[in-house]
Amino acid sequence: MHLEIEKISKSYGNEEVIKDLSLQLEANKTLSILGKSGCGKTTMLKIIAGLTKPDNGSIKMAGKDISDLSPEKRGIVYLYQEDLLFPHLNVFENIAFGLRIRKENEADINRKVNEMLLFLELEKQAQRMPHELSGGQRQRVSFGRAIIINPSILLLDEPFGSLDSGTRQRMQHLFKDMADKFQITSLLVTHDLKEAILMGDQIGFMKKGRLQVYNSRDEFINDPQTGVQSELHFWEGLKNEKTEQL
Amino acid sequence: MVKSWKPFFVTILIVLVLFPFIYLLLLSMSSGWAFPQIIPSNFGFDNWKAITQSEVGLFTALMNSILIALTVASIATFGGFILSRIVAYHKQKNSLILISYFPYILSPVVFGACLSFFFMKVNLFGNMGGVIIAQLIISLPYALIFFGSFWNEKNRNIENLVATLGGNKIVSFVKVLLPLAKGLLLVCFFQTFLISWFEYGLTAIIGLGKVQTLTIKVFLYIKEANFFYGALSSCLLIMPPVILLYLNKRFVFNRMS
Amino acid sequence: MKISEPMLLKNRGNIGILLFFGVIIMPFAIAFLYALLYSFGLVGILNDGFTIAYWLTVLSAPQLGYSFLYSALIAAVSVIFSVGLSLFTVLYLKKALNKPFINFMLYMPLAIPGIVSAFFTYQLFARTGFFSRLSYQLGIITEAASFPDLINDQFAFGIILTFISLLAPFFILFYLNLYKNENLEALERVAISLGANPKLATLKVSLPILLKKSQTVVLLYFIFLLGAYEVPLILGQESPQMLSVLILQELRQFDLNKIPEGYTMAVIYTSVVSLITFFIFRSQKNKVIHG
Repeated sequence: MHLEIEKISKSYGNEEVIKDLSLQLEANKTLSILGKSGCGKTTMLKIIAGLTKPDNGSIKMAGKDISDLSPEKRGIVYLYQEDLLFPHLNVFENIAFGLRIRKENEADINRKVNEMLLFLELEKQAQRMPHELSGGQRQRVSFGRAIIINPSILLLDEPFGSLDSGTRQRMQHLFKDMADKFQITSLLVTHDLKEAILMGDQIGFMKKGRLQVYNSRDEFINDPQTGVQSELHFWEGLKNEKTEQL
Repeated sequence: MVKSWKPFFVTILIVLVLFPFIYLLLLSMSSGWAFPQIIPSNFGFDNWKAITQSEVGLFTALMNSILIALTVASIATFGGFILSRIVAYHKQKNSLILISYFPYILSPVVFGACLSFFFMKVNLFGNMGGVIIAQLIISLPYALIFFGSFWNEKNRNIENLVATLGGNKIVSFVKVLLPLAKGLLLVCFFQTFLISWFEYGLTAIIGLGKVQTLTIKVFLYIKEANFFYGALSSCLLIMPPVILLYLNKRFVFNRMS
Repeated sequence: MKISEPMLLKNRGNIGILLFFGVIIMPFAIAFLYALLYSFGLVGILNDGFTIAYWLTVLSAPQLGYSFLYSALIAAVSVIFSVGLSLFTVLYLKKALNKPFINFMLYMPLAIPGIVSAFFTYQLFARTGFFSRLSYQLGIITEAASFPDLINDQFAFGIILTFISLLAPFFILFYLNLYKNENLEALERVAISLGANPKLATLKVSLPILLKKSQTVVLLYFIFLLGAYEVPLILGQESPQMLSVLILQELRQFDLNKIPEGYTMAVIYTSVVSLITFFIFRSQKNKVIHG
């Protein structure tokens, strides 16, 4: 198993934000987690990334305990809803950032970044500054910057939340392509039902700090608390009204 | 239709603003000004030539002021930036910020006078090092409060992102945070420069009058009733802030708000 | 949502907070403690062990009380005049103030430090100063001595005028920024569209908002003026004196027996002002929570 989380919990004062959370994730798969805001999903991601310390529990990657490793040594990249491009660097340098930190040689950096730019269809924007880009372009740079360093896990916190619906759809497809091509293992949290089903190889549901991961998509759909059933009823109701009117 | 008084008030405003600058400049170029005369009898650059005469000590005062202000501004800006991060991430953030206001609001001279015994003990009484440290006691908290707004959620998230991309603390400071704060650092530098440049009380008490800066000179000339040199030192004091204002108004305005 | 602190920092958090205490709090704590010990005769050149004699002397003499009252009056009058003048200027002339040249003029006074401002006031209003000469030339007075005493006078005319010249420019810029940031122009337009005339819109909408939003800053400047030093040092009279000048004078007495009294005054001044500041901040915080 690539990522194994066992019984982590976290409280702020009297408020227990994460309760006995366990999950397992295979390599090159995406686990999408559905949850409303305030369900603890951001805290969970920050714990996995090493940005927040859990009260107890353990995190293992490829069998090795990484619970006490600092964030920069985990190889786990955490992407926020905002693209957070570095405003003082152009597109090329934003994408190259992680490679430069790792002190890779100039030729490798050039090759990898140009390849990434091509894949993201951003080769014409290489010298642009972040404020000159559209929302979708910025998000693509943000993905490129994360994926180019070949992270062991990519954590995505509502990554398409700030995009309009058209761009959002295109980005979802692009992300699936990238996940395939670069063999990415990722954990994606979203409050959007469709997105959760569309993006995940596995689907989970999170509520009040508790996480349930489903064995199959059908199981997820049939569980009334995920909201899929009420959604189905709504659309079927509309359809029935229409047929009755006809 | 009632006639508007606005142009009248605007004119008064401009006259009030410009008057002290023109008056001090003229006074600095004057000599011989007996009582009932409204305009001095002699005009010229003789007083200004005094800057180069070593026995007047104005040149030394100017250099001291520049040296002290540059040192204070550099340390306060850099130290304040780091300290403000510590405070911003602390659980008791609000109390710590409240405490930081105190050295600035309480009379710095009373504060300095109570500390003078310790300045004496560590040999920082009556020398430039002591004056610099004394001025840092007020300019550091100023810089700390100044940078408070920089550590907002977005910049914290950026800092976290750098960490997950593999950057350690030094990388995130040098490659991301410092470039992001560049504009603010510059503004803070000039504002703390001016705090030091304008400072009189602490400099007088801890410097014992031995460390002569321009403000100390102005005070001495007032006491000696040497108003022409007083005006000349005042002009020297006013010049850098005017230049800074011309470059960017933000360099000067933002005090205590 | 909770904002997590980076783990990197957490390990070094204690060192960081030590640094904060060392640089910001320690000098202050040492100064206060030293003054406190001195005031009870526990340290100092002539100390004879614990005594409350200095406290009794200071508290029974009217000097410090007068100084507090005098400083508070000067500070209050200066702040009120500065705020009034600035509000009038901003609300009455706001359109003109945004023209680039005039806007630049508003910033110019910030280039003048307190000590130069005091010097300038002295130059204008002393018995042999500019206005005295002007009065003489206009035939209003016949000799320097008949010009009213406006410097080092008992009503602190010179001090107040200098304070206003230092504060009003700041408040004008402060209110001008507030007017923009609080979008008061739009609010005034709403009031006018609801039937208010422009004058009423300014008085009933902009003025109360500006006053309310500037409360803390106004109070902080009041406290700041309480402790002012160089201006009253140059323009003040022998007695009563403003607080900083009085305390400094006591601390630097040639009579070594008097020095502990100076420290007692420093302790009282620091405690009173700290308490006031603390309550101002607390009441502001409560307002934020309840408002």
